[in-house]
Amino acid sequence: MTAPSTELFVHPALFYRGEEEYVDGTVPFIREGLAAGEPVAVAVPGPKLDILRSALGDAATDVRFIDMTQAGRNPGRIIPKVLRVFADAHPTSRVRIIGEPIWPDRSGVEYPACVQHEALINSAFEGRDATILCPYDEAGLSEQALTDAYATHPVVISEGRQRNSPSYAPERVVERYNEPLPIAEAAEGYAFGADELPAARYFVAERATRFGLSGVRLDDLALVVAELTTNSVVHGGGTGTVYVWAENGQVVCEVRDGGQLKDPLAGRRPSPPAQVGGRGLLLVNYLTDLVRVHTGPDGTVIRCYVDC
Amino acid sequence: MDRAWEADPPDVSSARSTGTLQVRPLSDRTGWQAAGEVSLATRIAWERTLDRLALEDVEVCHLELSAVTFVDVAGVSALAVAAQGLPEGRRIMIEQPPAAMGRVLDMFWPGLRGVEVVAR
Repeated sequence: MTAPSTELFVHPALFYRGEEEYVDGTVPFIREGLAAGEPVAVAVPGPKLDILRSALGDAATDVRFIDMTQAGRNPGRIIPKVLRVFADAHPTSRVRIIGEPIWPDRSGVEYPACVQHEALINSAFEGRDATILCPYDEAGLSEQALTDAYATHPVVISEGRQRNSPSYAPERVVERYNEPLPIAEAAEGYAFGADELPAARYFVAERATRFGLSGVRLDDLALVVAELTTNSVVHGGGTGTVYVWAENGQVVCEVRDGGQLKDPLAGRRPSPPAQVGGRGLLLVNYLTDLVRVHTGPDGTVIRCYVDC
Repeated sequence: MDRAWEADPPDVSSARSTGTLQVRPLSDRTGWQAAGEVSLATRIAWERTLDRLALEDVEVCHLELSAVTFVDVAGVSALAVAAQGLPEGRRIMIEQPPAAMGRVLDMFWPGLRGVEVVAR
């Protein structure tokens, strides 16, 4: 028996095996929320949405459903664009969200960003009147992913029993997955300072076009490169190098500079309309399919993946 | 097409290579036309143009951007801030901006009053 938590924010991991356990672990949670008059959102992979809609029947009309494979394709945007946007839309009531950001098909390149996202939910929602329940597919996920879920969630529900996680340590997880990102063999680089910002953007756009990116996606990449390179000039020591290459049907673009990213929630806070600046990393998270970051005293690498 | 450009077309190619922004008053309506890019190097010129727009004593001010090839997020942010500071009933009409500008406006300032976008 543990002392009841005084923290308003509740963030349990739900371990499940198979559809029945999934429904048993989530549907009562949704129904309790609805009965208490709490706004409820369910952000899980598409096939799971169908399962929950059908299990809920008529009650499904009161729930906001979001396909996490789309909205949360880039885990870096789940906090601002999925979780906070729903919580902030209901400032006067407690909200319930089911968020499933990690599924068996997530690649090894995506996974570190997924775990860091799960860890950062805790500080992003500290003091907020909300419950975010995160289902974990015990049958499909790796042992490491399940172990990490204990470190990113203060509370764990397994086989219907809830207990405090003995290994909860979200800051350590963020640090452990702050993995070095060595320069890719295929990467072409361009060193820039303030005077070369436009040229750095053209450099990436020209190569991205050659790799098959076009239209809106190409425009988006130009915006992303402008934000990252401008950040290097303004906050990252004044200069940097941008690299670009193609990898597994994606264009990958990264910016390296001598600065250190001290705020782990940078790019994950929604921006109020009256705020003048500070949208650069948020935009990068919104417009790309994956962002990986390595930062430390020796510098920062921000690597973005964009589907062609 | 605006006649002013026919007489003296903006040199977009040099703007592209140097990241410059040229701005001048519109000849046939209240407002300004710009050519080039809005980025860190041209932010001051851009913000000065927006300040001038905000000072015009007309209901609708025009900002013609058909020869602008790129606007970064800070540039869109400056526009949104200028629009939010306009008195009730006044607005900035953005004509033919780069498509990404409309998307960034929708992304961070959905339903923003004070700005009307006429797409390319």
